[in-house]
Amino acid sequence: MNKISKNWIYRHSYNARICHWITAVSFVYLLYSGIMIFLQFPELYWGKVGFQGYPAIFRLSDWGLSWEEADALGDRRWGRNYHYLFAWVFVINGIIYLGWNAWQKSFYRKIFPTRGELSVSNFKAEFVRHLRFKAVDRKKAEHYNVLQKLSYLIVLFLLFPFMIISGFAQMPAFTAISPELIDLFGGRQTARTLHVVCTVLLTLFVIVHLVEVMVAGAVNQVRSMIIGKYEVPTEISEEA
Amino acid sequence: MKKKEEKRKEATLTRRKLLTRTGALSGILLTGCDTQFYRPPIIRDGLMGVADILTMASQRLLLSEQQLVQEHSVSEITKDFPVWNQSNPEDEEYQRLRAGGYREWRLPVTGMVNQPVSLSLEELKRIPRRTQTTMHICEQGWSAIAQWTGAPLLSVLEAAGGVKNGARYIVIDAYGGWYEGYDMFDVVHPQTILAYGMNGKDLPLGNGAPVRLRVERHCGYKQIKFIKSIQVVSSMEGFGRGTGGLNSDYGFHWYAGA
Repeated sequence: MNKISKNWIYRHSYNARICHWITAVSFVYLLYSGIMIFLQFPELYWGKVGFQGYPAIFRLSDWGLSWEEADALGDRRWGRNYHYLFAWVFVINGIIYLGWNAWQKSFYRKIFPTRGELSVSNFKAEFVRHLRFKAVDRKKAEHYNVLQKLSYLIVLFLLFPFMIISGFAQMPAFTAISPELIDLFGGRQTARTLHVVCTVLLTLFVIVHLVEVMVAGAVNQVRSMIIGKYEVPTEISEEA
Repeated sequence: MKKKEEKRKEATLTRRKLLTRTGALSGILLTGCDTQFYRPPIIRDGLMGVADILTMASQRLLLSEQQLVQEHSVSEITKDFPVWNQSNPEDEEYQRLRAGGYREWRLPVTGMVNQPVSLSLEELKRIPRRTQTTMHICEQGWSAIAQWTGAPLLSVLEAAGGVKNGARYIVIDAYGGWYEGYDMFDVVHPQTILAYGMNGKDLPLGNGAPVRLRVERHCGYKQIKFIKSIQVVSSMEGFGRGTGGLNSDYGFHWYAGA
């Protein structure tokens, strides 16, 4: 890269930075408002129908929070309003991000693993490095590693679309717009349950993501997601 | 492929058909592209209002052919269909009507109609009925399937001589103080019915006897129970806070398709 100064590398384009933070804010609001909605109906079912008294596959009351207690903590009026507001922010932001990057060859280079990276030995090496919480050397710091690439791909192209589609499958209007979509999930309640499961997966991703940021150096990482430049630790860059 | 197309045609009330069917509603533009159907009666401030319009406009565009909602088989009907919200209005008049087996119940259809009428339950039942087995989706998260029988709302308005030019909403009042407004896009939908039967029997008390609304493309809170009267109006101003219903007065979405 030609934008590298002595100890700095240019890591994130400005559209990635803007879209990242909008996604982050949307995620927090969507998660929180989703919890506020869920607390006022804290049971999950499988199939087409489900209601209080119907056999549930998950009950919050089994985990120590009674229906009444959960209900008192939740607020679905606030929750529904903000859930739909930030769903739109999230979707529009996502469309802009993908639309922007679909034309950039660098995007594909950045996010798709190369054949070499998909080798078993590379996976092994990356796993071991992650387990030891070791940061990467300069040459590798310019690129995402293979585990990073795969998890970003899964989040961007699997979990995010799944959240949107399983959200649609819960909406009454879709019983007319596309009942096939609801049937595809095996019913409205299954769609709701999988929406929650996917929420848990995304939350786990965010937790791991934040841990990784800490390991790699929180200040440097967060700064690079704001100003775009990433400082390569001196001793490592001297080695390289 | 062809079969699918035919099926779709069957399930779809084309716009032309809709317009001939709704001769009595000639004053109203009913195309899904009409922007009056993209917005709630009051647009909320800021981004919340923008999101409301995005949700409503995108769904109304996708619904512009007035497709029917999915109907389920009778075997899928839910036993113990939940009773939610008010289950027996604390209202003197209602209790008197209930004690009399609803024989004295009347449904006034007034406002911007050509011949205001007041229908008895018997008269309502004489209107060619529609029976549909559909899924009730509550905004809280639950869903259940039931079979509903009733008079299409559109036929009821036709019985009142049709609506006048400029009519935009219908307001349904219920015993117990609830009220809810609907725009003509929902009024003309063939599955929008005033239901007096549930699962082959009279509508039970807890589910809104003697008559409730089924407006299938919306969440449960739009399916108003214990119906008292219908008014056709040009604006929701003057009803509650003017947002178009008691639920939206409380801060829930007026458009409940999502």
